[in-house]
Amino acid sequence: MDIRFEQAEARFEGRTVLHPLTLSLDERRIGVIGLNGSGKTTFARMVNGLVVPAVGHVMVNGFDTAKDGERVRAETGFIFQNPQNQIILPILKEDIALGLKSRKLSKQETESAVRDVLDRFGIAHLAERRAHELSGGELQLAALASVLVTKPNILIMDEPTNQLDLKNRGLVERTIHGLDENVIVISHDLPLIADFDRVLLFHEGRLAADGAAAETIARYREIAT
Amino acid sequence: MKTLYVEGDTFLHRLSPRVKLVSLALASLLLFLIDSPAFLVIALLLGGGIHASLRLGWRLSFSRLWPILLTIAAVTVFTFLLNSPGQALVVLLRLTALALFAAAVTATTSTGDFIDEVTVAARPLERIGLVKAADIGLSIGLVIRFLPEILTRYQAIRDAHHARGLKLRPLTLAVPLIILTLRNADEIAAAIDARGIRTQK
Repeated sequence: MDIRFEQAEARFEGRTVLHPLTLSLDERRIGVIGLNGSGKTTFARMVNGLVVPAVGHVMVNGFDTAKDGERVRAETGFIFQNPQNQIILPILKEDIALGLKSRKLSKQETESAVRDVLDRFGIAHLAERRAHELSGGELQLAALASVLVTKPNILIMDEPTNQLDLKNRGLVERTIHGLDENVIVISHDLPLIADFDRVLLFHEGRLAADGAAAETIARYREIAT
Repeated sequence: MKTLYVEGDTFLHRLSPRVKLVSLALASLLLFLIDSPAFLVIALLLGGGIHASLRLGWRLSFSRLWPILLTIAAVTVFTFLLNSPGQALVVLLRLTALALFAAAVTATTSTGDFIDEVTVAARPLERIGLVKAADIGLSIGLVIRFLPEILTRYQAIRDAHHARGLKLRPLTLAVPLIILTLRNADEIAAAIDARGIRTQK
């Protein structure tokens, strides 16, 4: 993973929501924390090109998010806060297959890829199920499968354990810790990112701390109280 | 999240989506070209028979059909009042038969198949540079997928009115419904972009 922010600034309706930011990320597991409205989600959306910088550049694995949006999105998978809105088709296996259409695979290859990713997350039994029938944890795993079927290099997750009960939170946390991909996780769930390689703290649209998880989380606690 | 598709292994489930959609289009044309009540009664019985062959059960069938049946009833009453009983009968038979045919197709055709067929049908328009076929397919698929969502959202807003003891008014129902729907649409559009679904050719 090679992510570079070069004086990248994000604006929304003329207001700066993320002040000019310069940093490089190459660790495998990165956590992003901060209060609501601090710029975390904007930062994450800039990584996969959903938000392009008004000033400066964001480079992901050598691709400029403003110029090579499609390439950047092929490199990065994104799990949204509400996985319900991420599932485009009602039946899970159809939805996962939808992400593969641009690959021009044969029907057998598509079915095999869908089966493999469902097996990977232990949700093969949900293949024929409708998304509205799934529990919060199952829905989060389904969203993961729908994104990882395209084998992105980087996975970005926006508050993946938000609104989950204790059981489902544990299920999703174990899954995240078991992922082989490079991950960037935005979360209020501090134990989830406590052993990550690097943690970024955003506050009022600026990077307020950046470093080892324990120190950054301690700084966050100071800001939050 | 709901879907109009009902899993099953009936003859209609196995029939090619293209055959079903073309047949539905032809049946619609025929129903509007012919005014004979006898023919329309036969069409209605045929539609009922096809729908019954899906073995959905009365309860599920009614829950899927009642909104359209209510609309048909309203149109029939207006036709009866403004035109004649004969014309009202024709409207009732024609629209009910059509609703039964269409409901049978949506119950046995998955959203993915709908998208594929509509995309194929739009290819000629893409060749002359008018549209992007995959976008047309995806748009129609999204309508099918998210219409029941809007109904669920309406029910939630209605329940919120009841919980707060508020009277239901068109404005207080419509405004939150539109805002919530647009907000969801933004998130869904972002998800489509993030998953690279619109890059497909």
